[in-house]
Amino acid sequence: MSDRVSTGVEGLDVMLSGGLLPARPYVVSGPTGSGKTILAAQFLLDGLRRGEPCLLVTLDEPPSEVKANMGIFGWNLDRLKILDATPDIRAHRRTRSVIDVGTALDVRDMEDVQGVRQSSQIHALEVSVHSVQKMIKQEFSHRLEKAKERYRRIVVDSLTALKMFSMQGEDSRILIQSFMRFLSEIEATCLLVSERLNRTTIETEFFLSRGEIRLHKWLDGNVIRRAVSIEKFRGTRFDDHVRPLSIGGTGIVVQPNGQTSFRSGAVSLRVGESFLESRIIAEVSSVLDGVLHQIDEAHRKQIAVKDVEVAVSRAMVHFQRRNYQKALKQALACDSLLRQRLGDSPPPPPPTELPLPPGVAR
Amino acid sequence: MGLAKIRTGVLGLDKMLHGGLVPGRPYIVSGPPGSGKTILSIQFLREGLEGGERCLFIALEEPPNELKINLRPFRWNLDDLDVLDAISDIRRFEPTPIMEISTETEPVKMRAVGEGIRKTPDFESQEVSVHSLLQLLKKLFVKRKYHRIVVDSMTALKYFCMREFEETLTTQSFIRFLTEAGLTSILTLELPEEGEAPPEAFLARGEVRLHKLRDDSGIKRFISVEKYKGSSHEEFVYPFDITNAGVTVHVANGDSRTPS
Repeated sequence: MSDRVSTGVEGLDVMLSGGLLPARPYVVSGPTGSGKTILAAQFLLDGLRRGEPCLLVTLDEPPSEVKANMGIFGWNLDRLKILDATPDIRAHRRTRSVIDVGTALDVRDMEDVQGVRQSSQIHALEVSVHSVQKMIKQEFSHRLEKAKERYRRIVVDSLTALKMFSMQGEDSRILIQSFMRFLSEIEATCLLVSERLNRTTIETEFFLSRGEIRLHKWLDGNVIRRAVSIEKFRGTRFDDHVRPLSIGGTGIVVQPNGQTSFRSGAVSLRVGESFLESRIIAEVSSVLDGVLHQIDEAHRKQIAVKDVEVAVSRAMVHFQRRNYQKALKQALACDSLLRQRLGDSPPPPPPTELPLPPGVAR
Repeated sequence: MGLAKIRTGVLGLDKMLHGGLVPGRPYIVSGPPGSGKTILSIQFLREGLEGGERCLFIALEEPPNELKINLRPFRWNLDDLDVLDAISDIRRFEPTPIMEISTETEPVKMRAVGEGIRKTPDFESQEVSVHSLLQLLKKLFVKRKYHRIVVDSMTALKYFCMREFEETLTTQSFIRFLTEAGLTSILTLELPEEGEAPPEAFLARGEVRLHKLRDDSGIKRFISVEKYKGSSHEEFVYPFDITNAGVTVHVANGDSRTPS
């Protein structure tokens, strides 16, 4: 379809059935080193090649490092506008001279980027959602006025940094909501780079974004493997498989027809989990395996186990949601129930006729 | 049983609910992002529209213009659906007047929803708090009798509209309000990828939960009825798909073991 926005990665566009829907914010998530920034750069590069004005808001790496890192791929990002929102070294003694970044706008063409900006002696730049939003807004209207152009693509790298630096408590949800509302109102297609810090809380950007591209990285033996999946994509169908991804000399390549072993994927999830957790995972899976075998056996012997099947399906949902304690409890309950029933079998043949109540003559 | 029920618009789900939903009560549809909550709740409204009922969709997450575009592939006739845009504007940080959403705000018909996003006006911005939303709805319900309403999502309401309120109490009173208004409502609720469901799940009369699991062949979706007061229901976790016809639950293949 022609109304799609290409991500700059061919294989990923195939997975997205053509690309992203324009003028909406999307999230790119994944662990550190999984390729989020490279993907974001390829997205911007694709825009530049089509002559679209593109803006990179960088909070993690200073522009000079972004430039050096992307230089490796030989991409021409000279026309990329880069907004440096990396916070300065904090002056430990808070003084009145601490100013918001918004008032000292630093937007440069990529080609003009040289060294790291030195923290000013007099005032340090602080970054907040508010100031970043203000910076983007200023730059947006500036560009509209001067060049009569609107930014088509914006990348914020990363939202995690923005949240960590500047959010205070409860309000952070409202600030992110407002920031994403702002991005949708300026009608640019946006990629927000975000690291999922906690899987048990619902983070605002993940449910407000119109889609999530998740990058995976895991150790397979001693090789690092990478993959990509689409977790959510509103308004269109998409390829829901996990597809292999590699980072080579030309950037990210996704094989849209490639297979990647989910078992390794499961291993990747285990990286970083404690020894105890992996023990309980092994325990639950072996109990579940046993239960499933017993259910098959019960079916062969024609013993009614419907209630156990229900309980097992629950246990599996718990397992998949990583509620291991609950899964184990449920699985063990199933196991003992089944043992009991299978132990009782073969049931004594039912009496052909009911015994007569005492005192009743035949 | 015994109680009259209304259909949810999803055939398989009606079977799981042993006939449908008991009208006049609030229900939760929960699930992780991208599991199909919005689509399911739109099917619920569409069922009502086809029966000539008046239906209201309260958008707190996805802007109505995008909702309209996203629903196009399903080719459902939603022209007569009332849509209330209850998304707060961009916040202003300067001390400018912030207007609470006014009770004069009216829902628009789906057919009148435009292609572009509503823009925050230059000099004042609209803020939606749970209090102002309640006032608006009260006034609206006096004027018009609605049969079905969807709040998409409760999570957004809690996250963005309850700044100075106690969350659980306020949620409880919001749900109470919907019950007193006598309409059948579906409230969608975001679930984290792991861990426990948020407390809102316990406040409604029933909860339909969507599960999203991954295996070798991609994303597998399952649906279960976690709770249903005043009615029996299926205990199984059933697989479902999102197709051109919307959410389709496969109740027929009775053996519903989750992939092992």
